[in-house]
Amino acid sequence: MPQQYDTVVIGGGHNGLVAAAYLARGGMKTLVLERRHVLGGAAVTEEVFPGFRFSVASYVVSLLRPEIIRDLQLPRHGLQILPLDGTFTPLDKDYLWRTDDHGQSMREIRRWNAADAEAYEEYGLLMVEMARFIKPILGIVPLDPQRPDPREAMPLAGLLRTFSKLPRRQQTAFVQLMTMSAADFLDQWFETDPLKATMSASGIIGTFLGVRSPGTAYVLLHHYMGEIDGAFRAWGIPKDGTGGISNAIAQAARSFGAEIRTEAPVVRIEVRDGRATGVVLESGEEIHATTVLASTDAKVTFLDLLEAGTLDRDFEDGVRRFRFRGSSGKVNLALDGLPDFTCLPGPGEHLRGAISMSPSIDYMEGAYDDAKAGSFSRRPYVDVVIPTLVDPRMAPPGKHIMSCFVQYAPYDLAEGTWDEQREPFGDAVVDVLAERAPNIRDLILHRQVLTPLDIERTLGLTEGNIFQGELTLEQLFFSRPVPGYARFRTPVRDLWLCGSSAHPGGGIMGAPGRIAALEVLRSRRTETVRAWRPRWRRNGEGGAGEAGTALPAEAQA
Amino acid sequence: MTERRYDAIVVGGGHNGLVCAAYLAKAGLRALVLEKREHVGGGLATSEIAPGARVPALAHTVGRFRASVARDLDLYSHGLRLVQPHVRAVSLRPGAAPITLWGDPDQTASELARTSRHDAAAWLELDRRVRAHAGVLDRLMSLTPPDPASPALADVLGALRVGLRYRGLGTTDAREFLRVLPMPIADLLEDHFDTDGLRAAVATRGMRFTSLGPRSAGSTQVMLADSAGNDGGLAGETVYARGGPGALADALASAARSHGAEIRTSAEVAAIREADGRTTGVALASGAQIGADVVVGGVDPKRLLLGLIDPEALGPQLGWQAGNLRLDGVTAKVNLALSDLPRFTGLEGDADRDRLRGRILVAPDVGYLDRAADAAKYGCTSGEPWLEATIPSLVDPLLVDGGAKAGIRHVMSVLLQAAPYKLRDGDWDACRDELGDLAIRTLETVAPGIGALVTGRQVLTPIDLERDYGFSGGHPFHGEPSLDQWFAWRPLLGWARYRMPLEGLYLCGAGAHPGGGVTGTPGRNAAREIVADWRRRN
Repeated sequence: MPQQYDTVVIGGGHNGLVAAAYLARGGMKTLVLERRHVLGGAAVTEEVFPGFRFSVASYVVSLLRPEIIRDLQLPRHGLQILPLDGTFTPLDKDYLWRTDDHGQSMREIRRWNAADAEAYEEYGLLMVEMARFIKPILGIVPLDPQRPDPREAMPLAGLLRTFSKLPRRQQTAFVQLMTMSAADFLDQWFETDPLKATMSASGIIGTFLGVRSPGTAYVLLHHYMGEIDGAFRAWGIPKDGTGGISNAIAQAARSFGAEIRTEAPVVRIEVRDGRATGVVLESGEEIHATTVLASTDAKVTFLDLLEAGTLDRDFEDGVRRFRFRGSSGKVNLALDGLPDFTCLPGPGEHLRGAISMSPSIDYMEGAYDDAKAGSFSRRPYVDVVIPTLVDPRMAPPGKHIMSCFVQYAPYDLAEGTWDEQREPFGDAVVDVLAERAPNIRDLILHRQVLTPLDIERTLGLTEGNIFQGELTLEQLFFSRPVPGYARFRTPVRDLWLCGSSAHPGGGIMGAPGRIAALEVLRSRRTETVRAWRPRWRRNGEGGAGEAGTALPAEAQA
Repeated sequence: MTERRYDAIVVGGGHNGLVCAAYLAKAGLRALVLEKREHVGGGLATSEIAPGARVPALAHTVGRFRASVARDLDLYSHGLRLVQPHVRAVSLRPGAAPITLWGDPDQTASELARTSRHDAAAWLELDRRVRAHAGVLDRLMSLTPPDPASPALADVLGALRVGLRYRGLGTTDAREFLRVLPMPIADLLEDHFDTDGLRAAVATRGMRFTSLGPRSAGSTQVMLADSAGNDGGLAGETVYARGGPGALADALASAARSHGAEIRTSAEVAAIREADGRTTGVALASGAQIGADVVVGGVDPKRLLLGLIDPEALGPQLGWQAGNLRLDGVTAKVNLALSDLPRFTGLEGDADRDRLRGRILVAPDVGYLDRAADAAKYGCTSGEPWLEATIPSLVDPLLVDGGAKAGIRHVMSVLLQAAPYKLRDGDWDACRDELGDLAIRTLETVAPGIGALVTGRQVLTPIDLERDYGFSGGHPFHGEPSLDQWFAWRPLLGWARYRMPLEGLYLCGAGAHPGGGVTGTPGRNAAREIVADWRRRN
């Protein structure tokens, strides 16, 4: 006799766990099923080499929604975020080093260009205003322009009202942020190339776009949206790595009564008469549930886990059109000591923050051009962090770990396979580091190279896209993942999306998991009301349009 | 002394300036057009590049011109004659069969079917959708954008008109509309077509006159705008003005005059005069001064705001924004006089002649377009530029009627991209001829031997477009048509309603909504607002 749950969550990534926690908190008998032996999905800490523990994939946090931290009391469950101070951009002879000490940053930028220093001040203020304005979007359910639901239109209308009241200057900035390229946007303010390049980098993370591609400016805001204990713009690394976050969320979920099973890969979502009724595990075990939430990405959920023919063509085409195009890789290094940068020798505070290999806009764009041509960047953009400087317990005494986020590494290579290109890719990264810190070569004890293919294989992220689908204009808000199905509901009744494939997208934010869970709880409350509506109306529920309503079993070939 | 005989002065006699002046005169204003060059028309010009050989100087097709404007101004009785060949475009690919796009979608589809049934079906489907989507955009283009701070009743009504058209699309198309608008055109076409050459042929329409690449967000919107308000569909319009594009300018000028507008050429405006926040008239380079309550800029917004207005009156904030307008062009133009019709690979037969009457594309694949656009990012001209050429003498032999004794039988008009306004090294005056050679070298790849047929040529680099035509940054569209300079924020958010920071100052050029291209819409929309204000005042 299969077990019966109210809700089953597929995937124990941070979004799945957040959803489970909220569901359990709402009184649902909830089960989380994780394929791997560890929880966290891309937010995971593993001992890759004896004594060396890495945030294998995702490595910094800044966007984790504060309401989640509060609602789930994550600090009580062990969440601790250590500040990551500043950004250091090494160059051939010089460097650009900004820290959280505003005065220091201003002096440093003035050293490069006095006008830029002034602009930097103005820019910072403006961006904080922008972040304040945009924040609410991360918390709302995207309405379906075709079936506007007044309850969902409300917050949007509010947003419009706020917008119309903003000063002209901020309105302009908002429009530009939504439409411009990061480079063009920053060109308006600054002249210092390394400054522009380093700032623009945040615009391309996880996307197959260059710093000159329209639509990359928006992500500049994320730097200013990050909140830790309410402080704007503080990036940090979680104690014990990003797995620390996942474990804290899991703790919270368990404390609310959720069950979590690892090494329990789901192979199929059971659908009867157009409703999800449960899941089947690889072991053949069946688990019944009134509601199924998938934190897996849109392709895995709709094309792999659902039986072919469950969805109608239009919707399936929509899913096939949803673009992943993984573009980033990760190189994790176990070091015997600290790198020594020729432009600023010796250990020091500059190593405690992010170290950004982004000397110029053209360098960044060149890296992108390589990827467009179907090869990994010969001279890639690398974002380096040395967690052991703030969290020494990640490595044996005296030793260090170095996390290198790399762009670009296109999932589809024009020549060869990633299995052949893996090490050359790793070499390219080390070469770029060695240009500025020659001693790095002798320090490397172990090296782990993650290509988009590896990310897909181990983490189950389609095409290795770390955001479960590109964050491009046409894949945001009411078009994410498929126009008309941006409200976490799917054409299959009682099957919901709660991962980054849904609004508002990727990053260790937890927003999709939270909003999805709250929507499920709300729809459960209105269940009784719905039961009195005529059947055709019921099928209309959840935005399942005529294009998308799942075929009843008898109608299937 | 100052003349005072005019209600409105239009600075710049480009097609939008002329349209605006004509509408103003029609509404009873005493309008004067001041044009720097000796001919009106701006980008709409026919130039004689060799004895008896006349060729479209810049724009070579006029199919986007708004039909309602042509009717309102009765251009056909002012001598305008249009020619629309059956063929819209042919894409020539070295080592591959040409792809022809016909005015009749079914004809295109049936030819595509020979290589790919899937593409043939997809062509019909996407053509239908493009026409539907362009219809919504067309409504949007005829609007005066709303004021973000205080939407007025008129804005609401306008929004309703667009909204109705949008609802009319039906659920699927409407959802598609919102999805594709900001999309890179390469992605849209990859969703529909298997043949890369076909994708590239259409993708050029999202890149023409802009620095966007096929993978730049917003390029789909440029293509849709190109099809808005005309019969372009997916293939795009190809319509010639008999006698060359200059003939459209002449018809506009004569229409404007017939309504009482006055037009002065070789009259360069040096400054717009103002007194306590109101325009009072203009000062000519000659030193003469002309007074008028209304001054309308047919020039691009950068020239208008930074070149003609007193910075004091403009204020630092707006000055900073105007300085940051993105209007560096990437388009060059090479015009050729030919001793005979070139032989194009794959189109040797006389029967194939018809296929050459439309736009002739050298854009073999999307990667090629991508690389061409990439070069410009680094301030270099691509060694392999993409071309859009026409041979107007095929549809309008009179263009070369005087060329016979000079041995000229045809003229060819070639748009070349990407050639960036700002070169990283070298300057345009130094490498103007190089550019001409590059164009011919590129043509040789699809028309071997064409070089030997060239008896005369004219090369217009971005710097020439700036000097001779007054396009700041050499941008024929008066500013990038990208999503960040669009609709209610074209040229700048809060200044998209054709009214400029001085009272009585307006913008009617392509720098205003709905942007560039030979449409006449900005001029028409601006005139509508000017007349409304005028009636309110008097």
